Amino acid sequence: MSVSDLAQYVVTGLLVGGVYALMSIGLALIFGVMRVVNFAQGDFMMLGMYLTYFLAVVSGVDPLLGALLTIPPFFLVGVGIHRALLVRVTGGGDPQRLMDAQLILTLGLSLIITNGTTMLLTPMPRGIKTAYATQAFAVGPVLLNQARSYAFLLALVLAGVVYVFLTRTDLGKALRAAADDPEAAGYQGIDVRAMHGLAFGVGIALVAAAGGLLATYHPIEPTVAVNFIVLMFVAVVLGGLGSIPGAFAGGLLIGLVQSLTLLVLPFQLQNVGVFITFLLVLYLRPQGLFGQRLRAV
Amino acid sequence: MRRLLPIALVVLVGVALTFTLAERYHHRVLTLVLVWATMGLAWNIISGYAGQTSFGHQAFFGIGAYVTVLLVVTTGLTPWIGMAAGMVAAVVAAVLIGLPTFRLAGIYFALATLAYPLIFRIVMEYLGYQEVPIPMIRDRPAAYMQFRDPRAYDLLALAALGGTLLLSHWIEGSRLGYALRALKANEQAAEAAGVDTFRAKMVAYTLSAAPAAVIGAIYAHAILFVVTPDAVFGVLVIVQTLVVCLVGGVGSKWGPLIGSAIMVPMSETLDATVGDQLPGIQGVVYGAALVLVMLFAPEGIYWRLGALRPARRAVEAPRVSAVAPRIDTTVAGRSPVERGAALLEVRGVSRAFLGLRALDDVSISVRAGEVLGVIGPNGAGKTTLFNVLNGFLLPDAGQVRYRGTPIHGLRPSAICRRGIGRTFQVVRTFPQLTVLDNVMVGAFAHETSPPPARARALAAMAAVGLGRADDVPGALTTLDLRLMELARCLASAPDLILLDEPLAGLARDGVETMAALVRRVRDAGVSVVIIEHTMYAVVQLVDRLIVLDHGRRIAEGRPNDVVRDPAVIEAYLGQRWLRHVEGLRDPC
Amino acid sequence: MRPLAILLAVLVTAPMLLAPRANAADDFKIALVAPLSGRWARQGQLKKMGAEMAIAEINAQGGIKALGGAKLVLREADAGDSVEKAVSAAQRALSREKISAGIGAWLSSFTLGVTEVAERLEVPWFTLSYADSITERGFKYTFQTSPVSSVQAEQALDLVVDLAKRNKQTLRKAAIIGDNTAATVFFFKPLREKLLKAKGIEIVVDEIWTPPLADATAIVQKVRSTQPDIVFYGATNFPDSIQVLQKVKEFGLKVPIQGVGAWLVTPEYVKTVGRELLDNIMTVTAAHPLKGQEDLVKRFTERTGEPFMTQDPLMTYAHVWIIKEAAEMAKSADPKAIRDAVAKLDLKSGPAASTLAPGRIKYDERGRRVGTAPIIVQWQNGEPFTVAPVEYATKTPIWHGAK
Repeated sequence: MSVSDLAQYVVTGLLVGGVYALMSIGLALIFGVMRVVNFAQGDFMMLGMYLTYFLAVVSGVDPLLGALLTIPPFFLVGVGIHRALLVRVTGGGDPQRLMDAQLILTLGLSLIITNGTTMLLTPMPRGIKTAYATQAFAVGPVLLNQARSYAFLLALVLAGVVYVFLTRTDLGKALRAAADDPEAAGYQGIDVRAMHGLAFGVGIALVAAAGGLLATYHPIEPTVAVNFIVLMFVAVVLGGLGSIPGAFAGGLLIGLVQSLTLLVLPFQLQNVGVFITFLLVLYLRPQGLFGQRLRAV
Repeated sequence: MRRLLPIALVVLVGVALTFTLAERYHHRVLTLVLVWATMGLAWNIISGYAGQTSFGHQAFFGIGAYVTVLLVVTTGLTPWIGMAAGMVAAVVAAVLIGLPTFRLAGIYFALATLAYPLIFRIVMEYLGYQEVPIPMIRDRPAAYMQFRDPRAYDLLALAALGGTLLLSHWIEGSRLGYALRALKANEQAAEAAGVDTFRAKMVAYTLSAAPAAVIGAIYAHAILFVVTPDAVFGVLVIVQTLVVCLVGGVGSKWGPLIGSAIMVPMSETLDATVGDQLPGIQGVVYGAALVLVMLFAPEGIYWRLGALRPARRAVEAPRVSAVAPRIDTTVAGRSPVERGAALLEVRGVSRAFLGLRALDDVSISVRAGEVLGVIGPNGAGKTTLFNVLNGFLLPDAGQVRYRGTPIHGLRPSAICRRGIGRTFQVVRTFPQLTVLDNVMVGAFAHETSPPPARARALAAMAAVGLGRADDVPGALTTLDLRLMELARCLASAPDLILLDEPLAGLARDGVETMAALVRRVRDAGVSVVIIEHTMYAVVQLVDRLIVLDHGRRIAEGRPNDVVRDPAVIEAYLGQRWLRHVEGLRDPC
Repeated sequence: MRPLAILLAVLVTAPMLLAPRANAADDFKIALVAPLSGRWARQGQLKKMGAEMAIAEINAQGGIKALGGAKLVLREADAGDSVEKAVSAAQRALSREKISAGIGAWLSSFTLGVTEVAERLEVPWFTLSYADSITERGFKYTFQTSPVSSVQAEQALDLVVDLAKRNKQTLRKAAIIGDNTAATVFFFKPLREKLLKAKGIEIVVDEIWTPPLADATAIVQKVRSTQPDIVFYGATNFPDSIQVLQKVKEFGLKVPIQGVGAWLVTPEYVKTVGRELLDNIMTVTAAHPLKGQEDLVKRFTERTGEPFMTQDPLMTYAHVWIIKEAAEMAKSADPKAIRDAVAKLDLKSGPAASTLAPGRIKYDERGRRVGTAPIIVQWQNGEPFTVAPVEYATKTPIWHGAK
């Protein structure tokens, strides 16, 4: 195993992880602010993929641009769904009940979206033919697939934008306040419900954009989410709930571990490496890599 | 025995359905209802009763299925015995999974549990068990759990359901049930009241694994006929379990049954009617139904209907007699301590948080039969001291000895059982439990079955003068809440009680009631250490006073002397207070 | 809350009030259990297209003459995406009405479960699944029309080696890459254990993955560095397969790819990655339109709008015709009689026999078709054509890399 071989594995893993990372930030935002386990997250990603596909096929829009164009409509969709459905489920003040109820609610939503898409658009897989999906940048002996590289860069940019929004703008700080301590935030005059809507909208928009980026090299079908949903949740928890940089790091880590696992375990057990890493991290750091420690007594 | 009537009724209905349904397909639906209800019940033990939501229960379901079927395929062992082996394997797995994973809580725990069945699934595919068809045994099929008559599968699943209902029922009414409800409501309060929460969770987890394995084996034989990793370890299994439990109602043994009885036939009906002709529509409608159910009854249908029912009949409240009843804190096997002897010794205890010294070389001695007061400004380390004494925190240095043996490092529940009770600054209740049940949790520190625990709890309640046994804590006044917490503490038969600001939030007469109670507790032979800010009360109540400031002990002695100590006045009391006190009658 | 409750109640009860399908008492009913929704919906729908075409043709010709012109009717049941749902679908289809014969369920694990139901309810069942295990259970009612994986491996290898020889290529090194789904595993097992060795071919790469594949770089890199003469390829999960093919193009690899299964020649491939990527890739299937079937293919594409016809609709089409012939022979719609007729069947002509190489429909006592021969299909100019065995080929094979 030469250094360049190892470098290839690392690079491959990071590029894969970049898109996982973007998918996960959306989920991290939703979970961090609202404590909602959004079962339908992957399905919004799928819809983002379809929108990007139609933009490419009908209007000739490059999917990298198409991914960015999914952000405004999906933001509105997210806010709308929050307003129409999620606010009505309050859980009677019990956070566990709330989480349970919203889990089933979003599960129902997931079924509607997946099956509805199957019925309307047929299960025929689609794909966007881009030249750069089959081309690579050569950096020394290491090859970086172009589509994945562009997707990685855009994912990084979007994540950076979200991070700046959350830490530098007033609205972002209000959002974080509502996440940390809804009661106190309320006393400060922050409309917590609106913050939740905002978080959900941004979370959905981000995962739709991630879908668009994924569509540059991944085929699109109504059930595509099933391959990614578990990894998304693992990345978010691995990174530490409530931490956006954490979720990003979690996604990158998963991509990296997936790739490096191939060096130690048979290919078939690739994801076992991911899950074992996940468990180990949680045992050593129960709050995740970047998460806050749970409040002491 | 009468309380088993509902279970018997359910079984009877199941039998009736078994023998009245005509079509083979309808029997399959009935079997599925029973299977998923049983799986839901199993999940409910750890996730409903104990409140530890698990996304990984399909691990045990799959272990039951695979162990049973692989034993048939490789050794020809009948699944009737193989099922038992599957159950044992699942229980072992539960121990191995639970031991490390219960260190996590909430969503971390839930997702960590998800990792295991996902790993098992991949491993099974790797080992070559992608598809394991159950061999059809043509002679003596019943010996291999294969029946031509679908009614046999109905009865088999019904038996599993009945057994799991009985298990759930038994847990609900047992000491374990109280422990689980308490730790679900407030884990720390449960620990302080003597519940070994880790052990309770482990027991619940292993108990929940067994029925899951059994029903997994039955599912493989009655429904699947071929076992694939995805079918028994896959996400769809836990999704179905969650659906039936959350729709029906979590935390009740009837919830999963209600959820299963509604959602499974709905799903099958949709498949059978519209699904075959317009594929995909059944998913849309089912999804819409889930959304609607959650909007209509987010807590589950069982609880929603319960909220519509009239209130339960009141439990006979203990009469609060004029003559205050005795406080009985004797425990079999524990020798009483001689009055005045050193009961609790704190030697050189230090504790820091991120560089801040919360406790700095503190040494205190609590004597049997005294009331010791701890005062000091905010942030002095008073509650931190209690947390160290009571087991919630480990000291960085120093020792804590109780009755001569070291207790630092023990779990709070172990310390409670040794005889140290604790109340909290803000009362920590178990909100979903009645007042009596709240107090019973404390009683279980030494009692092992409900009837004597109940007696002890009622006695403790009578001792503090609290009568509202059947109310929920939400309906109580601040004083009653404090009385309840004290009763819970007394029910655990302590020698020593740590009271953290028991007078906070009380009006004058409440303060006097509590103070009188503290004196009675001391007179009954229980030592008291009390943190307080209400100085006029403290000064009259305590035998000795200790002052903490910035984590150090700056004064100790009789109240009269301590309050005149210049260092104490400087740090905490202030000149004005002293003048004010001296204006009142001399407390000595 | 009240309107929600009413809406919920309506949703729950309405389906049960839907009127059952109207059917004439003497219709001849064939069940089709296949995934019509979920992850494998496309495959199930393709099967349904094949069945519907056969039924339309038979009914247009006058139905089943031995039963007084009884019309064929298809009763499809959605197998969904789980074994539980597939077996439920079979149970449902077979107990709702009198079904004379059934077809399905595409995924071998589904088929295993579905045939258990059919065996217990004594209804003859036809499948195109390849897994050996399907007809190793001593069942009397299961009829497996495809060559089983182990046989396919052996015969396909012979065809491939022969093809290579004709193109003056010697195969010395082979790569085996694929997922661990049952069909792939059953094909690769004899290949890696004895068949390749017997032909003096060295295995230089042997990598199996669990779907979904995160990234194809490592696998294709191994292929590139070992330079095999042929790659045996078993990526049944469509996104995995696309990733591998894209990576092959990215690395500029020119190596003969020999797929194992019909999944590699579906229209979505050419729609997703384009014809250049696919050119000259070959695969082993159980069936593909043979020389002389151009008319059949034309009817299919015109009727369905699909760009070409592949194994799934073709074999389902054949199955319906086989059932029809059995019904004519049995002069009955009773499933047991149909089963007995199928067991005695020996068709050498007609639509059923001519659809499937080698032109003969006969099942042995295990339910396996006698004399099966796998078909090698090759992508040429964005369309898959039969290239081997030579007598059925509709196009001359081009050995990949030998330009």
